[in-house]
This record gives sequence, C-alpha cells and structure tokens, in this order.
Amino acid sequence: MQRRTFLQGLSAAAVLGSLPLTSRIAFAAAASPVSVDSLPKLEGDLTLYLGRGEGGLYENVLDAIRKRNPKLNLQIRRGGTAALANTIVAESKAGVRRADLFWAVDTGSVGMVTDQGLGQELPKDLTAQLKPGFQYPRWSPVTGRVRTLPYNTERVSPDQIPDDIMALADSKHTIGWAPAYASFQSFVTAMRILEGEKATADWLRGVKRHAKEYAGELGVVMGVERGEVDMGFANHYYTLRLKSGKPDANVDLAYTNNDAGCLVNASGIIALSEGDLPVNFIRYLLTQEVQSYLASEAYEIPLVNQVAQPAGLPSLDSITPPDMDLRKLADLRPTLNLMRKVGVL
Amino acid sequence: MRKFPAPYPLAFIIAVLAILPVGVLFSLAQDSAQLFDTHNLRVLGNTMALMVLTIAGAVIIGVPLALFTAYVQLPFKRVWLILLAAPLALPSYIGAFAMYFSFGRGGEIENLLGIPTPPVDGLWGAALVMSLYTYPFVMMTTRASLLSLDGSLINAARLLGQSLWGSLWRVVLPRVLNSIAAGALLAALYALSDFGTPAIMGLDTFTRVIFVEYNAFGLSQAAMLSLQLMVIVALVLFLESRIGGAGERPGKHLMLWPEKWQYSLMLLASMPVVLLSVVLPLAIFLVWLVREGTGGFEMSYAWNSAYASLLAAVVAVICAIPVAHAALAGKAGRLMERITYFGFGVPGIVMGTALVYLGLQLPFLYQTLALLVVAYVLRFIPLAVGSVRTTAENLDASLVKAARVLGASPREAFVRITLPLTLRGMVAGAALVFLEAMRELPATLMLGPTGFETLATYLWRVYEAGYFGRAAVPGLFLVLLSGLGLILMLSGERKAEFTISEDSRR
Repeated sequence: MQRRTFLQGLSAAAVLGSLPLTSRIAFAAAASPVSVDSLPKLEGDLTLYLGRGEGGLYENVLDAIRKRNPKLNLQIRRGGTAALANTIVAESKAGVRRADLFWAVDTGSVGMVTDQGLGQELPKDLTAQLKPGFQYPRWSPVTGRVRTLPYNTERVSPDQIPDDIMALADSKHTIGWAPAYASFQSFVTAMRILEGEKATADWLRGVKRHAKEYAGELGVVMGVERGEVDMGFANHYYTLRLKSGKPDANVDLAYTNNDAGCLVNASGIIALSEGDLPVNFIRYLLTQEVQSYLASEAYEIPLVNQVAQPAGLPSLDSITPPDMDLRKLADLRPTLNLMRKVGVL
Repeated sequence: MRKFPAPYPLAFIIAVLAILPVGVLFSLAQDSAQLFDTHNLRVLGNTMALMVLTIAGAVIIGVPLALFTAYVQLPFKRVWLILLAAPLALPSYIGAFAMYFSFGRGGEIENLLGIPTPPVDGLWGAALVMSLYTYPFVMMTTRASLLSLDGSLINAARLLGQSLWGSLWRVVLPRVLNSIAAGALLAALYALSDFGTPAIMGLDTFTRVIFVEYNAFGLSQAAMLSLQLMVIVALVLFLESRIGGAGERPGKHLMLWPEKWQYSLMLLASMPVVLLSVVLPLAIFLVWLVREGTGGFEMSYAWNSAYASLLAAVVAVICAIPVAHAALAGKAGRLMERITYFGFGVPGIVMGTALVYLGLQLPFLYQTLALLVVAYVLRFIPLAVGSVRTTAENLDASLVKAARVLGASPREAFVRITLPLTLRGMVAGAALVFLEAMRELPATLMLGPTGFETLATYLWRVYEAGYFGRAAVPGLFLVLLSGLGLILMLSGERKAEFTISEDSRR
C-alpha cells in the first residue's frame, strides 16, 4: 500500500531532487556516496541498451536523469539481457556500434560482452565508490541481489532450515525451483565452481526428488506463499516485493552460510564507447539518490559504500556470501550440460 | 505466350526472402557440435504431443463454431461472431497467465469465490490454452470457405432424405476439409512456435529449450534446435499439402433459421469457450487494475502497436497475393507458397536473431521500423496467404476465362474479376496479420527502432518485473485495438458478401 501511494505521487524529478541527504554523509567523508548535485551535467546523444525494465522503477531513474539534464538526448533500447548481449556482440562483429552503454540484469551477460573486449576502462575514482569485492576495471556493478531460501511460515519454522545449501539435497521438505531461470543457472554455476561437478550433480539429483518446477522465481515465491511447496530457491527481491503488496503473506527469507546458496550477484553497466559522457552517466547511477531509491523501491541491494539496505533484509555484512569473481558466472555451458545430464532442465 | 505463370517471379522473390532467415540459422548452427541427444527426444515428444492436442482441440472447437457462425441466423449475429473470434485479439501468453493464476490452490478463483479448482498446468494445461487461442484460425478459415459454398447442394441432399446433420457431415464438411486443414495447420504452427504458453505451463517444448539455450549464450545450439523445429514444420507443411481441395461454383448461401430455444442452446454451449479465453483474462486484468491502479502507461505505446501492425498487415497482403495465385497456378508455385509458411513456424526470438544478423549487413535498415515490418511480414505472411488462397481457390475459374474471351487482358481480368472476388480473403488475411503483429513480442524487442515501445513490449516489461497490476491497462488496450481489427475484418467481409450476392443476382 505504501509502495503504491508512493509511486503514484512520485514525479520523476522527485527521485533525484527531494530525497534528503542523510546525516551519515557528513561524518563518513572519505567513502561517502556522491550526490547528484556534485556531478557534471550530461550533454549530447547517448544510446543505452537496457537489459530489464523493472516496471517503471529503472524508468523513473532514467526519467529523473533526463529531467535533470535537458541537453542529454538519451535513447533507450530494451530487451532480454542475453538477447541484447548477443546483439552487441553481433553488432561489433559487423562493425556497427549503436550502443554507448549496456545496463545488464546479470553478470553473465556482462562477462559475455567484456570477454569480447568491448568494455571501456573506467576511472579509478568511480570504481572506488563501490564496496570491496564489487570493483572491476571495465564494468561497474549497479545493484545486487542475494540468493535466498523463501519459506512458507505456516509449514516450516526457521530452525528447520539448514544453513548449508548442500544439506538441502537430503531434506524432507518440498522445494520449489525454476531450473530454466537465468538466476538459478547462475547459482548452479557458482555451486559448480565452488563444490565441483560431481557434488553439484548429486545435489541436483537429490533436490529433484522432492522439488516442484516453476517457470520463474517469482512463480517459486508465489508457490511458496500459496503453500504448494515448503520452501524454494529465489532471488531476495521477489519475496520482499510480494510482501510489500501483501504484508500478511505466509513467506519469509532464510539464508545459508558461505556457499552458493547465498551468492550475491549484481546488475552491471558497461561503457561501450569512449569519452566522458558514458562514464559520467554511470556516475549518476552510483549516486546516493539513485542507489537508495532502487533499494527502497525495487528492494535491490545498493553496492555503493554507505548506502542503507532495503527494509526487510539483513545488512550485507551479516550475510556471508562466497568469495568469487562474478564474471566467472558467464561460464554457463558446462552448467547447462550438467543440469541436462541429471535431467533437471 | 509466357513459359511460366505471371505471379511466379514475384512469388519467387518473396519465397527467397522467406527462406533467408533459415539460411542464417544454418550459418549460426555450424559452430555447434551437438546434433541430437536423449534430452531432445523428450522435448520432441512434448512438442509433438502439444501440437497434436492443439490441432484436435482447435478443430473440435473451431469447426462447429464455423458452421454455427456461417449458417445459423440469429439476432445480433455479428456480435456473437466478434465474441467468438475474440480470442484472436488476445495473446495466448496472457491467457496462459490468467489461467495459471486463476485455477489451482490459492488461485484467484479460490481467493475471490472460495471454490477450489484443479490447477491448470503441464501438457494438458498448455494444450487447453493453445486450443482456446488457436480455434479462431480454424473457425475463420472454415467459415470463409463455408460462406462461399453453394447451399443448393444441401437442399438437394435434404430433398433426397438426408437429415440436416447428415447432410452437413456428408455434403458440407468434405468440401471444406481443405480449409479446416489450412486452419489446423496454422494452429499447429502456432503451437510449434509459441513460447509463452509452454513456459508458463512448465512444459519443455522446442521453443522453451531454444529460449534457454539462447539465454545461456548457446546461440549456435539454439540455431541447431531451431533447424530441428523447422524439420517438424516442414513435415506439417508436407502433410497439409497432401490434402487436395476442389474448387466449385459459388451459389446461394445456406441459411438456417432455428427456433429460439435451439439457438439459445447453441449459444449457451459455445459460451464456456468465450468465458475461459476472453472473460477470464479480462476479469483478472480488471481485478488487478482495481487492486494496483494504473501507472507509467503512455498512449504512444498503443499508437506504435497499431501503426506497425497496420503497416505489416498491408505489406503482408500485398506480398501474399502473388504467392497465393502462384500456388494455384502450378507445382512450382505451390512449393514457393509452402516456403513462405516456414516463417510462421520460426519462434520469434529466432526470427529476431536471424534478422539482426541480416540487418547488420544492411546498416541503413538496421533498427528501423522497415526491418521490423519485414520481420512481421515474414513471420505472419502465411496467415494472409492462407486466406487469400482459400478464397481464390473457391473462385470460379470460368469467370476469369469468360473475361479473357471477352477481350480483357490478364491484368484487367485480375483487377476486375479476381481481385474483387477475393477481397474478403484479403481483408481477413490482413486482419489476422494485424492481430498477430499486435501481440508479437520477441522480434519486436530485438528489431524495433531504439526507444520504440509497443503494448506487447510494455506488457513484457511489467510482467518481467512482477508488477502485474500495471499489465492491466496495456492488456485492456491490446484487447480493445485488436477488437477494432476484428470488427474491421468482419465488416470488410460483409462488403465482399454484398458484392458477390449482387453479382449472382445479375
């Protein structure tokens, strides 16, 4: 209810203009997030390939940037993230470049594009704004999402849920999953890298025995809430968004400890053309205003230092994600072969 | 004297254009190794099962409704026709989505009415949804053909002691088998190329596996799977070509005047179809609209949708005319016509990819509305070809011959005889292309000009983010615009009927 009224009353300008700068900035001078007010105005033509829509939330951010920079002619092309990554690679092979920036929903697509050497180097002061572990030379993470175990609060109590993802293979609970969903495949890729092929194959076989398949992870969370299954595997924000629309929903989040089950993945942006304009555009996405807006409205995890977490999520410090280079998640092929071999895809 | 029939050169060019995306698939597939494995066998089984069930469902629903809408005279005839053709105006993914969230434990029906319902998913769920959204293909092609049949044969059969049902079964249906098959073919191709429905129902079909591969950057594997899908499409096209049709003289329309209780009963029997395919999704949209309100929608999306689809419809019909006439002129023309049918079996995401590669060779076309229209035309031209051909097929060839004997040039005979008499098929074909282009998604995303937002792309955007409430306004708009398309199609039909009856009176 609160979200809806907020959205309805939200004019694009309000996003960047009226959010108060918290007092925290005052004392955390060194690593404090940048405010839009200190950024240079954007001018000129810019084409952005946007690998997700977010039902208006990313749009609100983009609209706000447009409004603040009247001399910026921002063209947006939307599409599936993988489709856009394929398009960018095909364009570069044909010697045609249409995009200046690529904002991708998952790091797999980022890896696909940066592996082709298409990402421009980003200035150090820009990457330094990001939290440790999320600083990369040729692309910038924007927001993060953590893998979670949404569980039905009427059917399962939190202490029945193991904090080891591998232990779920032998669990008695029914589990909802979406093997065809990109985020799930990234998660299995992480498990494959961390635990090895064999352990992952055994795990998939084990879970498959008591799993119900869904088309996407939103479906998983809704299935958990409806009591079709006891728990599921999904990115955190689906649960938080469901609860924001339905506060009495029978679903809550559990986390595993230091394994693929609590992997933190990110959406990222790549500058494809040279010059200051694309880089400065990225700076806007890393401001206090944009980061906290995406956290409070889309329930995404801000990845810039000193920006508060979305409500309903423990702080990033209390989650213990595994340590890995996110671009490794682009290595999907062996994952798909593995999933196919054990018959879950 | 020319060595080949007049429509051949144009039809040949169009057929070559239609086969180009398949050529791109071949070049993409060359990188990949895996030709076939056991997993494919399961996918193949699912795909075939879905296709067969869809054909069965579409024919079982579509043929009786075609007879009903073509012959039975009742008040508000046109309203019922529009209502029964209305599933054409809805994308099947919306239907699948609505049904998935309505039925089953905790579904909207249980939430609102407290009646527990069985879940709709898997193979049977997908087949049900597919049948509900493809039966209009069968209904419309069959109906168009029924309307051009000579009703006096039925009267003769009745005079010779055959019952009404018997004469429908033995005298009417055999003569429209070709059109039923044409409609069933479209339904089959739709089932083969649709992605949304199997994905929502959780059924592994070729399109879904292609989608998964594509998203995992297995472009070559996706291309390979698409080629395998093409083989099935080719098989379907071959089977359909074995069913021959016989042309006959147009004559008096058959009209049935049943009692009030009789037609009320027939209407009542057809209502579950409308309820499930049209009323349910609309009701769900309205519930969501009330629950979540509107937001973020712009009128330009609706305008873009209508504009691009209209262009596609016009171009598709113009291209379909030579192809349809070539098909009737000879064997080579028939082959060209078959080739254009490939497009309908190519999943949108694959067609989109292929045209991205083709478009990149011609940078002035790349990311323009023109290329998007080309994509729509290549995908949906079979709809136009099918309707133009079936009406042209039922055209009395001696009319053209008479015109020629009276000194008209082939061109004049075509413009003054063939064209007016096949107008009905053209309008119907254009409307079908319009409706399909309106709901097309993947190719629109990949090929449209940057920043070009349509109703379908906006729907996808909000669905993807999980804000269903916002799907309500564009969803309702999509239905509204498509409804206008339907009305256009059916009013064009009336005009054509008028011309014919005027002719027959002379």
